[in-house]
Amino acid sequence: MNEFTIERIKTGIPGLDDLIEGGFPKGDTILVAGKAGTGKSILATQFIYKGATVYDEPGVLVTLEEPPSAIKRNMMRFGMDLKKLEEENMLSLVDLSPARPQPKNLYEYPSFDLSGLEAIIHSHIDRINAKRVVIDTLSILAYKFKSRDILREEFFKICASITKKDTTLLLTSEIPARDTGLGVFDIEAFLASGVIVLYNEKISDTSRSRSIEVLKLRGSKHSSRIHSMRITDEGIRVWPGEISPGS
Amino acid sequence: MVEDEESEEAAEQDPTSSQIEIIFFKSDTCAFCPRAEEVLFETIGDFDSGMFKVNEINVSENPEAAEEYGVFALPTIMIGGVAVTGIPEPEALLKMILGSRMSQSRGAD
Repeated sequence: MNEFTIERIKTGIPGLDDLIEGGFPKGDTILVAGKAGTGKSILATQFIYKGATVYDEPGVLVTLEEPPSAIKRNMMRFGMDLKKLEEENMLSLVDLSPARPQPKNLYEYPSFDLSGLEAIIHSHIDRINAKRVVIDTLSILAYKFKSRDILREEFFKICASITKKDTTLLLTSEIPARDTGLGVFDIEAFLASGVIVLYNEKISDTSRSRSIEVLKLRGSKHSSRIHSMRITDEGIRVWPGEISPGS
Repeated sequence: MVEDEESEEAAEQDPTSSQIEIIFFKSDTCAFCPRAEEVLFETIGDFDSGMFKVNEINVSENPEAAEEYGVFALPTIMIGGVAVTGIPEPEALLKMILGSRMSQSRGAD
């Protein structure tokens, strides 16, 4: 491997690595965007799970939406035992979900940063020497804070600080219904060097079709087609040779 | 009556029981934190010094506390379970202090 070769980490998601030259560029920020129910959280958690169980890469899963108990229960349906990974120090689940008791924010002045969030995430990365980090989902912060300009700037700082030591960061972003962008901030795509979009489109009165598109990936000859994707008993599986019927 | 007198006496003996707890979250890298700290201490400086118990938490040294309280943004000042993020206006702090005092009185009734 020479200095111009991009080192990659395998996602471990069946079929996905075939679309992206073998994996995500190591130390990059990847955005997984999609409307509600498209499988973003499953894909993100699977990325952490496979990293820990197959590639010996510990991972940090920061949940801003679902409480850890629900994530563990849901992922067990796909045979992914997150509790066991926690016990083995291969996973750190950071509970920043609204289910936790949090102070009621009465006032917000546009003079703050997110160094609290950054310190929390770094403490977990350092504790288990994590190589993969997931933040699920970025969009929640848009509802927690009003100062969008500050949030945008702070996201750039947090992404840069997490990936500084070659940790690969995967962010999920919810595309609001009837929206054509990639998230509530309109800058999510610029934060990331890779963007993956998940779809669950209605193709007839009685059926929907799941699909996945690699919109961009720095330094990679990725597929430019929209490929079929399914949520199986083992999690997400992509069919690289199958083009989505909806595309 | 005797009981009331005793409890009043006990409260007088324990000056911390009626104190308002203020938690100030800051970090080593937070550029706005020093100014927020100044505003906080200038505001509470107008009151009796024994009225407050100020707990400063530097999340760079103690990220567990930020996680426990669910505090992402800094500076954050918590007074009686409510919070203000950013450099606060003194009026906002005064309202929070008053609110905390009122809920303390309600609790004592």
